Amino acid sequence: MPLFGKSQKSPAELVKALKEALKALETLKVGGDKKAEKAQEDVSKNLVSIKNMLYGTSDSEPQTDIVVSQLAQELYNSNLLLLLIQNLNRIDFEGKKDVAQVFNNVLRRQIGTRSPTVEYICTKPEILFTLMAGYDHQEIALNCGTMLRECARYEALAKIMLYSDEFFNFFQYVEVSTFDIASDAFSTFKELLTRHKILCAEFLEANYDKVFTHYQRLLNSENYVTRRQSLKLLGELLLDRHNFTVMTKYISNPDNLKLMMNMLREKSRNIQFEAFHVFKVFVANPNKPKPILEILLRNQDKLVDFLTRFHTERSEDEQFNDEKAYLIKQIKELKPIQSDGTSQSSQQQ
Amino acid sequence: MEQEIELADEVPAVEWLNNDDQIEQLDLQTIANFNFNRVSSDEIIYQKKQNKCKMVGKYVMGDKLGEGSYGKVKEVLDSENLTRRAVKILAKRKLRRIPNGEMNVRNEILFLRSLKHKNVVELIDVLYNEEKQKMYLVMEYCVCVLQEMLASAPESKLPLFQAHKYFVQLIDGLEYLHGQGVIHNDIKPGNLLLTLDDTLKISDFGVAEKLELFASNDICTKGQGSPAFQPPEIANGHDSFSGSKADVWSSGVSLYNITTGLYPFEGDNIYRLLENIGKGVWSIPEGLDPLLTDLLLNMLQFDANKRYTIPQIRNHIWFNSSPIDTGNRVFVPPLKGDVSRSSTVLPYLESYHYESRQNNVYFTEHDLNEAEELARQQQMQDSSSSSHQISKKNSISNDEAYSTRESSDINKKRRTKKKFISCVSVKKLTHCRQS
Repeated sequence: MPLFGKSQKSPAELVKALKEALKALETLKVGGDKKAEKAQEDVSKNLVSIKNMLYGTSDSEPQTDIVVSQLAQELYNSNLLLLLIQNLNRIDFEGKKDVAQVFNNVLRRQIGTRSPTVEYICTKPEILFTLMAGYDHQEIALNCGTMLRECARYEALAKIMLYSDEFFNFFQYVEVSTFDIASDAFSTFKELLTRHKILCAEFLEANYDKVFTHYQRLLNSENYVTRRQSLKLLGELLLDRHNFTVMTKYISNPDNLKLMMNMLREKSRNIQFEAFHVFKVFVANPNKPKPILEILLRNQDKLVDFLTRFHTERSEDEQFNDEKAYLIKQIKELKPIQSDGTSQSSQQQ
Repeated sequence: MEQEIELADEVPAVEWLNNDDQIEQLDLQTIANFNFNRVSSDEIIYQKKQNKCKMVGKYVMGDKLGEGSYGKVKEVLDSENLTRRAVKILAKRKLRRIPNGEMNVRNEILFLRSLKHKNVVELIDVLYNEEKQKMYLVMEYCVCVLQEMLASAPESKLPLFQAHKYFVQLIDGLEYLHGQGVIHNDIKPGNLLLTLDDTLKISDFGVAEKLELFASNDICTKGQGSPAFQPPEIANGHDSFSGSKADVWSSGVSLYNITTGLYPFEGDNIYRLLENIGKGVWSIPEGLDPLLTDLLLNMLQFDANKRYTIPQIRNHIWFNSSPIDTGNRVFVPPLKGDVSRSSTVLPYLESYHYESRQNNVYFTEHDLNEAEELARQQQMQDSSSSSHQISKKNSISNDEAYSTRESSDINKKRRTKKKFISCVSVKKLTHCRQS
């Protein structure tokens, strides 16, 4: 923006100019072509103007509420947010960051008790799906990640994402070979599964089989980081009282117990330790189903022996030692199922 | 800077006469000579205590931040990574006097160790000193207690936008705690801390309860929280109650308190108070935001079954609104005159490194009396000729180390002055003990 002369463009003009530049950029091929370069420049320039309108600059304050709300209204009407995200890979490096900043600012906007942008995105869920698909493209993955996590803060938007088919792509995204993308995807994944407790619990209950079949693959991943992170998240999910129903379901499945027992013996001590926190739930369960009880009984002596020698160097960690002692005691006291068919659990009831 | 006096010479203990025979045996002459000596006030000499740099583990101790029945809270500095921390000092001797004292501390350590959330105070380290029978709980440094801020605010209440900001964080923290099966049982502004970046931290897990992992409900039995914040079911003496609903109630009372500066229930004594809570009749002060009123009505619902749950609070329209910044936010009140509450550890380090040990500062009772007299005069004159006073004050001590700020402190605050009396060194008199 020039210092003197030309007056500032109005929000409507800015949005229009940005949209035209984007359209041009969409149809042209980047590189070599002068026109394409020009379009890219225009996009960046207009983005900066919009950003300054929202955030202000070092020597100007952000624009008044009226201008900002005009801008937001223009953005909704012109469908520009979706267009920006769809063409994010064509915008230059700084421009990509500006898009994320503009998007997040407009998203956070509140009028009284309403969040107009959240309402708008609810009517245009493609925005969310396009953002999620952003993890497929290395050059825009992290920008999409910041926008996605901002969206995930709103329950209505998190719900759309969780219940979409695209959500299950996260099970691939968290495992991609590019470390920064994988870990960014994991933090978005975790945010979606933990942020809104009731929503998440309902989602996990309703989609239990599908989610945990996918989750099993993460726990068996060849990638150490994926294995460790997903195991840790599993522990957090199961030990959160909001997910009580999911937890009881998970710990009644003998396959899950076997997996945890194997993970207790993993090479990595960190994984062993995380596995311990899931394993303990199986043992602490006062109503163990028959198959679970059988596995524990079959390995009774071995488990007691194993746990006694398990991570003995953690003598400082009082809680861990208490829990370990409790588990050892529980396993020692396990009684075989009696011949008349009444199991230990039914006696307790 | 805290000023304390050290005993310069060891004063021999007085021997008490235990029976009449002994007194008779005493030389009458001695008794005749035994009278109270008058000592001129400029012969009683005090010595200013050096700011002694003290370490506990790797932590350098600073000034006291607060004090409770369990012991003091002091500011410390981690000497390895230079982070500010707060340390809760617990003396076993004191804990024994509090019902369940030692149990509660054990509880607190156990809970804090296993909790990790933005809105729950973090326990960094636990140190023991067997010799002194003390325990040190090193925690995140929080700049002030919400209660303190409230007390400094006009009408003891916060503007809505600020109260909303804290309340949202309180609910975030509480939701996490309940998710971990922890019922706090003592939510109140006195247990909510604020950090430098305005993050609220729930603290004090002394009476918290942990639910069994497989418990299907959240029935609690303890209910030892602060009376004014307890729900009717506890006030009415029920043996068991829903823990999460009790926390919701106390959060409701806290919200009421920070937005109105009042309490929904009061009473001349604790019995009256509990009686009033037990009846559950309370009113909303006029002019309170209607949406907030509605939320409070639902949080302070007499029937725990009808009372809001945390998800319901989250969905409430006031919770999701963002009250407009009215520009009158309440700031952290100054601590001992320091608006920015800068580190109190630094003066100790400075004196440790830069003040020579010989540089002892002496001043007499006479000086102090004079200073007090001056202060009184100054008050009467309503500080009209302050510059003249200050120059006089400085003349009290010629020593440079005795800085202007300190000396004027003595003059301004009589309370500070009183501290000097406790420990004295007495010149000339060897058989007399100052009481």
